[in-house]
Order: sequence, then C-alpha cells, then structure tokens
Amino acid sequence: MAENSERFTDPKNYVNRELSWLEFDQRVLGEARDKTTPLFERLKFLSITASNLDEFFMVRVASLKDMVHAKYTKPDIAGMLPSAQLKEISLRTHELVNQQYTTYNRSILPALRSNGIDMVLRHEDLTPEQAAYADRYFREEVYPVLTPMAVDSSRPFPLVRNRSLNIAALLKRKEGGDHLRKKEGGDMEFALVQVPSVLPRIVTLPSAQTEEGTAQKSMILLEEVIERNIRELFLNYEVVTSHPFRIMRNADFSLDEEDAVDLLEEIEKQLKKRQWGEVIRLEIEEKADKRLLKILRKELSVSDEDIFEIPGALDLTFLMQMYALEGFEHLKSPKYTPQPVPALMNDDDIFANIRKGDILLSHPYETFDPVVGFVRSAAKDPDVLAIKQTLYRVSGHSPIIAALAEAAENGKQVSVLVELKARFDEENNIIWAKKLEQAGCHVIYGLVGLKTHSKITLVVRREEDGIRRYVHLGTGNYNDSTAKLYTDFGLMTCHPLIGEDATAVFNMLSGYSEPLSWNMLAVAPLWLRGRFLRLIERETKNARLGKHASIIAKMNSLCDKDIIAALYEASCAGVEIRLVVRGICCLKAGVPGLSEHIEVRSIVGEFLEHARVFIFENGGSEEIYMGSADWMPRNLDRRVEILFPIVDEELKGRVRRYMELELEDNLKAHILQPDGTYEKPDRRGKPPVGSQQAFCEAAVSAAQAAYRETAGGVGPSRVFTPIEGKKETEKG
Amino acid sequence: MAAHMFAAINVGSFELELGIYEISNKNRVRRIDHVRHVIELGRDIFRSGKISYAVADELCRMLEDFVRIIHGYGLTECRAYATSVMREAMNNHLVLEQIRVRTGLKLRVVSNAEHRFLNYKAIAALDEDFDRNIKKGTAIVDVGFGSMQISLFDKNLLISTENLPIGVLRISNSIRNANPTVDRTRDLVGEIVESELENYRKMYLKNWEVRHLIGIGEPILYLFRYENDGKPLTNVTRSQFEDLYARLSVMNEEEIESKFGVSADYARLILPGAVIYQKVMEMTGAEQIWVPGVCFCDGIAAEYAADKKLLKFKHSFENDIISTSRNMAKRYRCRSVHSEQVEEHALEIFDAMKKYHGMGKRERLLLQIAAIIHACGKFVSVHNANECSYNIIMSTEIIGISQLEQEIIANVVRYNLRDFDYDMIRIENDFHTAAGRSESRREAVILIAKLTAILRLANTMDRGHKQKLKGCRIAVKNDRLVITTDYSGDITLEAVSFENKAEFFEEIFGIRPVLKQKRGV
Repeated sequence: MAENSERFTDPKNYVNRELSWLEFDQRVLGEARDKTTPLFERLKFLSITASNLDEFFMVRVASLKDMVHAKYTKPDIAGMLPSAQLKEISLRTHELVNQQYTTYNRSILPALRSNGIDMVLRHEDLTPEQAAYADRYFREEVYPVLTPMAVDSSRPFPLVRNRSLNIAALLKRKEGGDHLRKKEGGDMEFALVQVPSVLPRIVTLPSAQTEEGTAQKSMILLEEVIERNIRELFLNYEVVTSHPFRIMRNADFSLDEEDAVDLLEEIEKQLKKRQWGEVIRLEIEEKADKRLLKILRKELSVSDEDIFEIPGALDLTFLMQMYALEGFEHLKSPKYTPQPVPALMNDDDIFANIRKGDILLSHPYETFDPVVGFVRSAAKDPDVLAIKQTLYRVSGHSPIIAALAEAAENGKQVSVLVELKARFDEENNIIWAKKLEQAGCHVIYGLVGLKTHSKITLVVRREEDGIRRYVHLGTGNYNDSTAKLYTDFGLMTCHPLIGEDATAVFNMLSGYSEPLSWNMLAVAPLWLRGRFLRLIERETKNARLGKHASIIAKMNSLCDKDIIAALYEASCAGVEIRLVVRGICCLKAGVPGLSEHIEVRSIVGEFLEHARVFIFENGGSEEIYMGSADWMPRNLDRRVEILFPIVDEELKGRVRRYMELELEDNLKAHILQPDGTYEKPDRRGKPPVGSQQAFCEAAVSAAQAAYRETAGGVGPSRVFTPIEGKKETEKG
Repeated sequence: MAAHMFAAINVGSFELELGIYEISNKNRVRRIDHVRHVIELGRDIFRSGKISYAVADELCRMLEDFVRIIHGYGLTECRAYATSVMREAMNNHLVLEQIRVRTGLKLRVVSNAEHRFLNYKAIAALDEDFDRNIKKGTAIVDVGFGSMQISLFDKNLLISTENLPIGVLRISNSIRNANPTVDRTRDLVGEIVESELENYRKMYLKNWEVRHLIGIGEPILYLFRYENDGKPLTNVTRSQFEDLYARLSVMNEEEIESKFGVSADYARLILPGAVIYQKVMEMTGAEQIWVPGVCFCDGIAAEYAADKKLLKFKHSFENDIISTSRNMAKRYRCRSVHSEQVEEHALEIFDAMKKYHGMGKRERLLLQIAAIIHACGKFVSVHNANECSYNIIMSTEIIGISQLEQEIIANVVRYNLRDFDYDMIRIENDFHTAAGRSESRREAVILIAKLTAILRLANTMDRGHKQKLKGCRIAVKNDRLVITTDYSGDITLEAVSFENKAEFFEEIFGIRPVLKQKRGV
C-alpha cells in the first residue's frame, strides 16, 4: 500500500495544468479545423481559441511571470518550476498559434471565398473602387478618432493599452525640423497610433470580382484601412514602414483583502492599474521591419520567447464579428431555441409547481426563463417575505436585477451577494451592485479572501401552514445570456432541509457564524473537499469489499491533487471511474497500475459544457450531486461553493441518462490518452452519437409531448383536466 | 392552525444568537432560522468588569441587524434575553439603555437559575426524546463559559440542580498564565475540575445512580459536530467519547481549530469542555451522553410557546420547581407534617380569595414554594429563624424562578415571623435589568405583603403543629374569609394567634378572616 500511495502523489503521475489547458484550446481549434463543422461555426471556434489564449496569457502566464519575479520556487502538481512551465508554455503556444493561422489562411479564408466572402488581406489588393471607398471611410469615420503619437526625448514612449491593436511606424522627416529618436533607427523616427476599438474591426467594402465570380461580400480589416492612409497622420514625414502590433499585459492582480478597508474602492483602483501591467506578449505582423521590432522590444521590455510573429491578421477575435454578419445563416448550425420545461407547462404558479415535486432544469436545452420567472414571481407575490440571491456574472440589462429591485420596492427583504471578484467582470458588477442598493436591497460585496461562486436563490414565503422556503440551486451563473450557450443544470425545490441549509448559507454570507452542521448541502471552503474525499473513499472501500463501485463525474477542470490521488487509489481498488472533463485535467488516465479504470473524455461542442455532476454508486443506493465547484484547489479552498444532492428518484434517472449519453458521445468527444494527448473516439461500426444534438432533440420532443397533452386536456371537448391528470403530463 | 411565529434573541458571553421559530401543533417548536455572531462580551468583563464602548457599539449594530431580520419575517413577537455577562457587567444599565434606544429591544437579564431552566425547557420541548432519556437515572450537564449546572432527575422529576464554578472560559483563563503544554493543559484542567466535582459528589450526588447524561450548553455542540461521519453525533457512547477525548488531548490549538471548525479564540475552550464532560462521566459512571443540540434561544421559544398556551408539554415544569423546593426543605430538615399542612392551608386560602387578591398562577407557585421552605432557617438558628431563612433562600438557587421572585420568596418567609414593615423590605433586584414581570419595587413590595399575609394566616392555622384544622372549609362570605373547622378539640392557641394575624390580613385584602369551630352537629 505504502509503495502505491507514493505513486498516487508522485508528481510524475500528474499533468501540468497550463499545458493541459493548452490541450483544451487545441481541442477547440480542432472544432475550427473540422470540415464537418459549418463554416461560420468554425469562425466562431477559431475566434474562441484566440480569446481563450488572450485570457490564458493575462491570467496564467502573467501569474507565472509574477512567480518567477518573486523567485517562487515551489514546483507545481507535476513537479515543474514556474520558469520551466513558462518555457514549455512558450513552445506549445507558438505551435498553437501557428496552427491557428494555418487554419485561418489555408482553410478558413479559401472556404470563405468559395462561399462568396472575400476578405481583402492587404490594402494594396483593393480594387480602385474599393480603395476609393476605403479612403472615404478613413476620412469620414476613422481619422477623427485617431490619436497618432510620436516619440522623442521630451515625450516618453506612450503607454500602449493592454490588448489594444496598434500600428507602429517608422518615419523619416521630409525636410528640416528636429529629429526624433535617432539612435535605434538611424535617422528614423518612431510613431504609433492605436486602431480605435470604438469602430468595427471589419470594414465592409463594395463587392468585387474574384476568381469564383462576384463576391457576395467583400471586407477588409480596419488596420489595413489605416495603414493605407497613414501618411495622412504624419504629414511632414515620409512613412518608411508601418505594421500592426498588439500587446498583452499582466492582468492578474492579487488583491490584498486583509488591508482593503473598502473592497469596492480597492477593486476600482485595481481596474485602473490593470491597463498598465508588465508586457507579457507582443504580437506583430510577420516580416515586420526589424528596426521597428527592435524599438518595440526595447521599449516594452519584452523577451524573444514572448514575441509572436503572426502570419496574418492579429487578434482573430474579429471573427466573432464576422460570425454575427447577417445573411449567412446557411453557413451556421441551425439556431436552437431553448424549450419550455414540461413540469411548468400549466396554469399553476411556479410555487405551486415546485410544491408538486422538485424540478430539474437542463440548460440550454430547456429555457432559463423559469429561473427569471421564479425571481419575478417572488418579487410580486404578496406572501413572499424575502428573496436572497448570489450573483456572480450577471448579464447586461439582467431581468433578474430588475426583479430584485422591484421586490425591494415592494417591501420585501432582498439580500444580494454581488461577487466583485469575478474575473474581468468587476466593472460590470459594481454598476449592478449600486443599482440594487439604490432600490433598497441589502447588498453584500463578497467575503474577504473568498470568492462566492455558488449559485443559489432563496425565496421565503409565508404560507397557510407556516414558512416555506423555495430554493433554486444551479451549476451556472444567473446570466440569461450565457444560459443559452452554456450547458448547466438547475434545481428548484422546496425541500425543508435544503431550505434550512440555504438560509444558513445566506447567514454565513452575511458574515454570521457558520451553522453547526448542514443537512443536505455541502459547502466549500470548509466542508466540501472532505465531503468529496469521503464519497470517493466510500467507493474505494466498497470495491475492496468486492462490491461493484463506480464514479461518474462531470466538471470543467480537474486539478486538485488530493482528489486525483484519491481517484488513483480508487482506480487501483477497482472502482470504475468515468469522467467528463471539458478543460484542464491534471490526472493521467488509463495508465496501467495507476489509473487503468479511469476514463477521461472532453466534450467540445457548440454549447460550452459547464455543468458539474457527480454520481457515486454507493453499493447500489446511488447518490447524485451537482454543484458549482470543479475539482480544483481554488474551488475547494478559496471559494464559497455549494454541492447539492438530487434526491427525487425520477430526476436522478434523468441525470443518469444524461451522463450516460455524454459517455457515449463519439462526435464531439475527445478521449484522454495515457500519453496526455486527446483523440476522438473510434467510430467504426458505431452509430454516430452527438450528445448536445441529442439533448436538443429530446427537449424539443418533451416540450411537444407536453403541448399535445395540455391541448388534449382542455381542448375542443371542453373537458377540464383534473390536477392528477396533469401531473402525468408535467413529468412526461 | 396557522403557525405562530416568534423571535428569540440571546446575548451570551461569547455569541449573539437570533432564532426565528414557527410554533404549530404539527411541527411543535421549529427553528427556521438561526443567526449567530461571535462577540466577546466575556473578555471585556473578564478584563475590566465593564463592557467597552467598542463592544457595546458592535452589540448594538448586530442587534439592529437582528431586528431587521425579524422584521424581514414580518414578526412583532420577540423576546430578548441576556445572561451572565450582562448580569456581571458593572455598566449594564448604560448598555441596556443604549440597546433600547438604538434597537427598540428591551433586553431582559436573566438569573443563572432562569437561564439554566430555559436551557432545560429547550430539551423538554423535545417531548418524546426527552421523556425517553430521563426515565432512568439522568443528569443534565449544562456546561457554559463561566459555570456549569448539574441537574439530577428521578422518574421524570427534577430532584436537584447545582451550579458549580467550572466553565470553559473561566478555566481557560485561570490556567492561561501557567502557559502549559498540551499534556499539562489536560492535567491542570482535570485537577481543577476534579476538586470542584469532589465537593459536589459529597454534598449532592452521594449514591445517586446516574446512567445517562444530557449534554447541553454551547461547548459540547462543537465537540461532536463532525463525529458522525462529518455530521453531528447526538448519542455518544462512552467508548466514542473516550475515542474523541484521546484524539483531542494530543492536539494543539491550531489542530483543534481546523478539526473542530472553530475560531482561534474558541479553540482553547474545546479541551476544557471535553475534560469537564470526561470527569463528569468518570464521577457518575454514565454510559452515554445525549447531545440534543439545543441552544438557549430554543428555550426562550419553548417558554414562549408554553406561556402563550400554543403548545402542551408533557413535562410539568412547575412540578420540577416544587420537587426541587421540597428537596431543599429536606436538606434543611424542615420537611414536616406541619409544613405540608401550612402549604395546604396557604393554597386553600389563595384559591378561596382568588376573586379578591388579583393574583395568578405564578404567584400561587411562589406562595407554595414559600410555604414549603418557610422553616428552613431553623436549621441554623431557632432563635433567629426569620433572618436565617432569608439568607438561606437568598443563597440557594431555586431553578425556574427569577432573581426577583427569589427575593420575594425570601422576604415572604422572613416576614412570616416578624412584623411587616414596608420600608424595611430588602430588595436587591435591579428592576431595570429585569424588565420582566414585575415592573417596579412598589409592585414587588405589595406582592410580598399579599403573600406574607396569606402565609402568616396559613401558618397560624397550624400554630400547634397538630393539624387541627385539617379539612377545614374556607370561603369568602359577606366580605369575610370564613374558615370553618369540624375539629372538636381545643383550638384556643390557633384562635388567639389567628386573631393576631387576621388584622394584617384585613389590612392587605380588606377582608377579615374569621375562624369558626362547628360544634357537635
């Protein structure tokens, strides 16, 4: 055993999380490269790989750089030092970027062209008519918002904004005058201009003839239009060379909450600071003038391995803008409309429906409307005393915010925990928080040292037979926009013990003492890790006793060492473990003598897999949990997370079937190989199974069946359906 | 029946607590919300005897929050109690006034006896569970921050209850300067606890057989909170206890913090708590501890439910109070046929006068207790019995009654034997802090006078200690309290004495008592 348990924790048996993350971005790129994916969906995936990579740099790479600066030498889960990780990351990212552009240049652009979309790559290639249009566009729309900046000894090198696209130029003075920066470029002078982010990156041009005939649509990128007219900006100079470049700065600030008297103020301050962190990546057009690059490298103090020479347009996120172009629906997947929830397709109010039994919501296959409706009804219901909710990433113009404000105005006690520490969302969140406060809500700005990641809503209602608490628990944020794109589960229940725990959660979030014990919920950071470990160990014990033991779990990331070690141990004891892990996975699957009973798959599809589901066989009396937490140290130790059980047998069956279908997916699944790479499953001889597609179809037919039943019940015969009869319908 | 809702607030030594309750026949007393906030009132008192401005401010702010939560539930019914810390604070008047002004809450400071009795009511409210647990020799061990209470039960009846100066905070503070190592801490605490328990064993426990303990008070809640596979363990066997104790006694404070999920301040209180229970188990030989997990607020709610007649309790608390009083009488050797006769007469007079004296059930109970223990002073001095009785009663804890009530009883017993003098009545009770049932000194004095008048009359009716008037009939007729006896022997002694006391009785009630001997019918 002792020898084994050493194996379970040996760093050799773990994968570095950053490299595993890059594998994930690679899988997303795989979707962009997949010719069976509709063309515009491929654009979207390619755009996602780019924005993913941006975030990865700003947060993860930045953090590693900080560690190197701080001479932090603790190895990671896989035994790698920060400097070693950076080295590997640099190699791997360069590879990934190369693949991105191969895909863009060799696959996407030609495919666009053959579909009548002509992307003019260089302004030199514009037709005279297009050129005239572009120049007029420049004069009328672009020129007024440009701020060209020259550099000389009296003017320091301008601050280049994080993630902004810029054009750097070398100038030569036409006649007389002072010389700017002579040293680097001989008699050259350096200048730059930011490509304005207020204007669309894609400029639509008059159509032109191409080899394939008349293009349906011609377009060029904004920076090309500016480059074409750059002389207009530096009138007394000759522009020797100009190239677009882009930088990324260190954005992961660690907020010292112990010292922050007012959290809100501190974050506002940090937000301003974020723009000007250390440069950790420089992207510049391939074959850019060496003199220009030299100046940039020096002024931005960026090292060679952090320079990416890009063979094409910088910042591929503009592809998302292209995706939004109208008139190309035939190049996209058919638009899916989230379906109504059968259990709610009746005339009863939401509270009555919840009283009939727990309701499971499967987004985005089923609509998020009931969740908004839940808060809305509560705001209006005269019997509702209080509404409490945690808000993490809220969408703009959120109907939930409006409903909460209304509730407060209706005299209900409304407590809202607005998590300000949601990455990149602080600005957004502060606005909502202030709005809610003005409406009379009690707003809590998170807990010191902990991010509140749990998604929970509690409605306290005074009813005939006493107080009844209605609770919504979710795996995803209360964000009606992302609920159309992320796969998540939600549970609506009025189980008294869950209600009691929910009350305790909000007491805790309000700064009161934790309860002495929990009934049904498990809450991080204090109790969750232990709970998961006990659940895994129970399976291990059962396996050792010769019982059948299994774990099915689905999450976004798996990188907690204790949990992985427990899974290795469980695997060695014979527990059958099947994991659906979308992103980072530090566990090695299928390694003989370590994890041969563990299978890890990742599903990358049209919807972002986001739900967290945990199924433990428990010697026959299966337990199913859901929650907001991944098996990551940050989720288990530094966040407020909630794990909730599904107790209703029928709902348990639904969740099990859901997971089984995901485990059968052979279209969008990638299987983790013992060597750490991912491969698509072998489909030979098997019918194709696309789980997301199947869930869409199932939701549509369930809703239709419910419609038919309801229509049949109160239809032309004018016979009213008794409640019992309806119940069948709702559950069907 | 629609559920009745109620809020209870407890201002404790270490923690503020708010409980929101729903009281219904179906769910009985159901706690639907429990809000707790750690506040170290105890530390302030320990240091300076006063509650500091900063802590008082925090206290008010938290109570303001509590009031907001209570309003959030749409509630108006609330009882807010404070225990030992507020009792001991020298500046409690000011703090209580501040709380009243800022929050509108009238905080009532309860005596230790009331406090413990409420804790005990909280368990008794569990009805079936409680009954099942107190059948065999049972002791409730209520360990608090400053002291502990041991209450013995026999056949569903409370027999005795004693307060010992062993509390987790008190012990922890008293050994603090010694800076003991982990091992030493256990032994030192053990020594302190043992010496106190030894006295208790000799004086009160004697050969009483205790097989079950009921563990209440806050520290024990933390001891077993994770012992049942991460959940609280409620029935702790001796071996489970020993197992926990063995693990705990080698942990340092940091380990305790993480294993028991408590703050650093609380961590040092965990071991003393365990040692106390361990020593009690050792002393009694109990095999099991039941940890019902009740808190003080539960007791307040149970009391409220009983007061408002919202619920019926199987257990009779009055019987507990009476049985402990009888036990006290026994201890001071004043349990006699005479005192039983006086008790009977006093209650008969009380009941007959019901329409005229304007007193209720609670006052009747006070009268009954006074009658039961009215002669306890004779244990010390027959000559100076009234003063001795007063002192004994004042220094004995009578469970279930407030400090003021205790003073009322002591005075009634005192004036049973001496001339009543309104101005000489000693009442130390602080009317401001005990915003309870009796609002002013004047009312208390009147109550003492009324009860004294009845007790005196009842006492004189058995002046010769011969129970001559047993079975007499007592009724009010034509503004006279007519006591008619069939006793055919000589009642001169009683009659003379009766006349003496009748005057005072008339002065108080405006009704003249008359003793009539019915002859040879």
